[in-house]
Amino acid sequence: MKRLFNHRFLALIQKEFAQIRRDRRIAMSLILPPVLQLMLFGFVLNSKVQNLRLGVIDESRTPESRELIARLSESESFRLTSYYLSPDALTDAITHGKAQAGLIVPYDYARNLQRGRQANVQFLLNAMDANTATIARTYAQSVIASYSANLQSSGLHAEFSQIAVPDVGRRGRVDLQPSFLYNPGLVASWFSVTGVLGLLCILNGSLVASATMVKEREAGTLEQLLMSPADTSEIVLAKIVPLFLLLCMMALFAIGIMRVVFHVPFHGSFMLVFAGAALCLLSGIGIGTFIATFTQSAEQAQLTSFFVNPPMSSLSGALTPMEAMPHWMQPLAKFNPIYHFGVICRASMLKGSGIETLWPNFLALLVFTVILVSLSVWRFRKQLG
Amino acid sequence: MSVPATYPADPVPSPEATGSAIRTSRLLKRYGAIEAVRGLDLDIVRGEIFGLIGPDGAGKTSTFQILAGVMEATSGTVEVFGKPAREARSQTGYLTQTFSLYPDLSVAENIRYIGDLRRVAPAEIAERGLRYLKMFDMDRFADRLAGRLSGGMKQKLALVCALVPEPKVLLLDEPTTGVDPVSRREFWDALAHLAADGLTIMVATPYLDEAERCHRVALMHLGEIHQTGTPAELRAGLHAKRLELRTTELAKAEQLLTQDAGDGREILDVQRFGDRLDLLTVDPENTTKYVEEKLKSPQLQISEIQTREPTLENTFVATLRSLGQEIRPEPFPGRYDHTDLRGQIAIGATQLTKRFGAFEAVKHVNIQIRYGEVYGLLGANGAGKTTTIKMLCGLLAPTTGEIQLAGETGSLRSQSVRQHIGYMSQKFSLYDDLSIEENLNFFAGVYGVPESERERKRNWALSFSGLEGKEKQLTGSLPGGWKQRVALGAAIMHEPSILFLDEPTSGVDPLARRAFWNIINRLADLGTAILVTTHYLEEAEQCNRLGFMVAGELVTEGTPSEIKNRQEGHLIEFVVDQPQGAADLLKQTLERWRVSLFGDRLHVVTDESAQAGIQSTTTQLAKHGIQVLGAREERFSLEDVFIGVVEKARQQGKVASED
Amino acid sequence: MRRILAQTRKELIQILRDRLALALVLVLPVCILLLLGSSIALTVSHLPIIVQDFDDSSISRELVDVFRASTSLYVTSWPTDRQPQDAFMTNKARAALIIPEHFGRDVLRKQSSPVQFLVDGSDSNTASLVAGYATAIVNAYNAIHSGATSPQPVQAQIRLWYNPGLSSKKYSGPGVFVLAMSMFAPLLASLAMAKEGEKKTILQVYVSSISAHEFLLGKILAFTLVGLAECVPLLVLLHFYFGLSFVGDPSSFFVATVLYSFCVAAFGIMVGAAIPSRVAAMQMVALGGFLLVFLLSGLIFPIDNIPIQIRWISNLVWGKHYIYVVRDAFLQGGGWPSTWLEVLIIGFTGLVFYTLAWRTMRRMQVKA
Repeated sequence: MKRLFNHRFLALIQKEFAQIRRDRRIAMSLILPPVLQLMLFGFVLNSKVQNLRLGVIDESRTPESRELIARLSESESFRLTSYYLSPDALTDAITHGKAQAGLIVPYDYARNLQRGRQANVQFLLNAMDANTATIARTYAQSVIASYSANLQSSGLHAEFSQIAVPDVGRRGRVDLQPSFLYNPGLVASWFSVTGVLGLLCILNGSLVASATMVKEREAGTLEQLLMSPADTSEIVLAKIVPLFLLLCMMALFAIGIMRVVFHVPFHGSFMLVFAGAALCLLSGIGIGTFIATFTQSAEQAQLTSFFVNPPMSSLSGALTPMEAMPHWMQPLAKFNPIYHFGVICRASMLKGSGIETLWPNFLALLVFTVILVSLSVWRFRKQLG
Repeated sequence: MSVPATYPADPVPSPEATGSAIRTSRLLKRYGAIEAVRGLDLDIVRGEIFGLIGPDGAGKTSTFQILAGVMEATSGTVEVFGKPAREARSQTGYLTQTFSLYPDLSVAENIRYIGDLRRVAPAEIAERGLRYLKMFDMDRFADRLAGRLSGGMKQKLALVCALVPEPKVLLLDEPTTGVDPVSRREFWDALAHLAADGLTIMVATPYLDEAERCHRVALMHLGEIHQTGTPAELRAGLHAKRLELRTTELAKAEQLLTQDAGDGREILDVQRFGDRLDLLTVDPENTTKYVEEKLKSPQLQISEIQTREPTLENTFVATLRSLGQEIRPEPFPGRYDHTDLRGQIAIGATQLTKRFGAFEAVKHVNIQIRYGEVYGLLGANGAGKTTTIKMLCGLLAPTTGEIQLAGETGSLRSQSVRQHIGYMSQKFSLYDDLSIEENLNFFAGVYGVPESERERKRNWALSFSGLEGKEKQLTGSLPGGWKQRVALGAAIMHEPSILFLDEPTSGVDPLARRAFWNIINRLADLGTAILVTTHYLEEAEQCNRLGFMVAGELVTEGTPSEIKNRQEGHLIEFVVDQPQGAADLLKQTLERWRVSLFGDRLHVVTDESAQAGIQSTTTQLAKHGIQVLGAREERFSLEDVFIGVVEKARQQGKVASED
Repeated sequence: MRRILAQTRKELIQILRDRLALALVLVLPVCILLLLGSSIALTVSHLPIIVQDFDDSSISRELVDVFRASTSLYVTSWPTDRQPQDAFMTNKARAALIIPEHFGRDVLRKQSSPVQFLVDGSDSNTASLVAGYATAIVNAYNAIHSGATSPQPVQAQIRLWYNPGLSSKKYSGPGVFVLAMSMFAPLLASLAMAKEGEKKTILQVYVSSISAHEFLLGKILAFTLVGLAECVPLLVLLHFYFGLSFVGDPSSFFVATVLYSFCVAAFGIMVGAAIPSRVAAMQMVALGGFLLVFLLSGLIFPIDNIPIQIRWISNLVWGKHYIYVVRDAFLQGGGWPSTWLEVLIIGFTGLVFYTLAWRTMRRMQVKA
């Protein structure tokens, strides 16, 4: 190791730093992606079901029907946009996206209620977006159920209670009391930005690394370098060290944004997250270097990375829950460093988990990093020699 | 030996007689604060080959782009056949400096595409394409991808593409850079042919041997034209003669004679070549005596001293000097002296062979280069030069054979070996994205030049490059020729005892090239072994020894004079009244390579005696009504020898001619 | 016209020669559609939850069994002496159902009996889903056991339109299809264009006096064809793997697809003309094609959730309009009446890109 820190290594490192300093594209790709991706993903990726546009046909036009409509549109989930006169008009509105949900209150609604008969309403949902539809359905059901319950208990519609079969239930009601841990406000961005951090480290790391690694070959300066007394491991190391340091700064910057802009809590150890990020960066550098050894130019390297990055990010559980993948795909994620970092990052930041629970993920991350880095360095050195 | 001949005035058609093809007036091009072209006035006559000679950064490319109508001038006017350049595009063919066709299209597809773009009828594209491909002996390669062609073939393809729309003017921007001598001669033969058919050709080149083949030449420097005229006029304009002096101890003789050389002195200029000195003088007879006198006292043996015409290079060097462009670098601040190693083998190879699959790139090459020697390795593209060098310096492992490098035979890649080696590769040996200073610091650091010396070495490299005060500039913004100088400076800062220079002078102007060779000779005097490759055989004359590679084999080796003397046959220069007709006629009976046109003069290589050759050729030409105005035997140039060697090898079937 | 076709033919030959490019437009989009289309989904079923039953009565076991019977949740038991949070820490469960002591007794006494449901909120969407699933299960349980015979006064009949099976694949499939269409053809287009500048082959074009319109149209036509070729295997995959077929009149979809291919090809050419460096142009297209279309077009995340301040941007994202047309063709079947505006917008955006490209190139001269 001592042998490494000699004048040659110093000259190589200085050269790399000088090149990086001049390369505006590197500087851009260390600042722009963290800002842009975190901001966009954090602010835009919001799956929360709220303010769904509700279109209503109120054929009943009674205080009872208006109360039902008010109940639905007062809730967080639905927002009354307009009334329609015919089912065709409502259908049209849903098809064109002017409304996402529709409520049809039949003309005999109030009369049925008053006579103590069950009143049916139709609730239409545009289910193209399965997630929104699933959640919206639950909301609608519970709003209507609680409205029903109110009707039963309050004296307002006494007629109904009188006519209705008296309570013959054998048991008391089970009252489910959900409470949300770690993220009581269900802030969507906490999930997305913690996932994006891993994507950033790996994908951006590999992009920057492949560009740097292939640069020398593309410019034709590699031969000159190989003729110098510098050792191949010195050359490789001198390229990796500055990159790694810069990328670490990027990771810190990204973590800063998470904290300041998105107020992600830091329940666990910062060092743990940072160490995970560092391993991710090294993995990313490994992947980038590996790609670089197969390509002749930065253009090719970048094109090739299209074959690696999208599959890696989609099989990572970073942006969408792991369980949403088809079952046969889920085990694949276990071989993905982004997945393990996502687990570490979320568990540590949001839940305050420590190494004692996260060690398997850490170990996996470490193993991948070691494999990727040594494989790529081996290939790179082989090409040099 | 030479038969004196009086040349008639060069038959350059006058503008009044035939009209101008290209006329520019006060042409100016400014990029920001930099003036690339500064008030250019050109008048190019129809049907002539007009050479624009100048180093990288002289403004040639900007001029060409304006003439081709693809860039607007800042001010001034251009007329191409009476029209503004942009409107004359349909009559203009333009070859850019870098290959500007599509490497992933085949030869035929490239021709078709360009033809279509220029609205040539499909039938005519096919007909003309085939005709020109045949003319350049390329019709076999119609289906080959352009990217797989050799450098020379690529340029010929580019020429075919430019010719398919049948332009009236051809603009060729350094068409032969990186092209080997054989292809270059073929290319120029083709140009001569086209000009004879009435095409106007304007061609840029940094090389003066090519300038000899133009009707008229202009020297361009820093955006301005300094001299225009026929090659003969320019040579005559120097009012001086050249003395070739051969002596045993060149270095010492050079030193003695340089002391009192200079403007207005007996000797105007001294230039050292591999085995001779060239002296420029106004009065050859007196100078001969003076030199003999001068060298008598240290008892230097003069083996030969001859009076010759000056070369174009002499002219341009004189012009550039008068412009104050000469760089006089401080002496190289070398500390180490490798003279103790002198005579020992620095680079040695026995039976060196390299196979790539079934292809034998290098076949049983034996080379020995000693310390203190400048060795030139020459060869056409694909002859195996680059592969050989890569093996010799340890970048590539040979298939069989042994290599000795700096006394080491086993591991050529060891640090201690590389510490003694300097290497400057073809085009890219500096980092474009670093400043000049950072580049120099990097090379000093990686080679471990001691702290105490770095300052001095760096300053020297800057003064050698003529870039003092510009060390903060980005290397990428320098023209190629300047980069080469910095690269050489960087490669020798650690005072290597062995130096590999792979085409070190491409794009370098004549004066800087002399500075290059000055330092190369100086290093050799200090005992450094130097291996150089070049495509320019005029430059190869500066080597002590040369090796010619053909198809992976080293076919000839020796000093430049030895090699030239070894050449069989005679070279005869004819002056005739119909040069192109004569050339075409002779090519019907003689092999193509034996006949070539140099401007208005015809070179013929004959295996008979000189007199017999002159007679038989004269009678043959007379039969067809072509009159010979003068004839004399010329010495073979290295290029003639080289082409002869390659052609002979080709006849013997050694060279599978490009497949 | 002849020059346009010459330009197109040249581009197509070059693409066909480039194996990496071919893989990029024919193989990679298929892989991405397969992977992203089926993995980028939010609707999760089979979510692991744990149960801590402090009561351990027949009633509590009955409740747990109802949970077990659900396909949305997957129950594992958890020792009562361990903190349920431990399960969240190690990601073994998404939620914990905690049944207190005396639960069974209270239920039998017809008292309202609370059970605790702890949800790991770190993934907010999944947390909402889990809570929703659990609520639905408990509601169903209550309906059976506490008020089975009493009808609800108001009964909602919920109709799920266009995707009654609530399959995420059917939603994300068309989205990823659009993503793939927005990425690769323009990527190659920008490369081809930037390359002409970088390798100086553009000089030959300049000197040939071809007009900027002819040159650009020729190139754009080539990459429009590339985009359409890319579209074929993707449609096959959408049909067979995602189970999507045209509902109603597909003619607006086909017109929109041709226009969209033109639009993205023009985008690529524009970027390549404006940025004469291949790597930088590629990054630009990746940004435009991927990030914008992925995030701002309603590909997976509803546009309505984008903060209002930046939501208007999504109207400028060309992918948004195309996604609308594609989803309409495969799920809603609205046809021309519901998509004509989007089709127009796509065509118009293409024209804007074309005009911008033309503005950079119109002089057909070296810029200095």
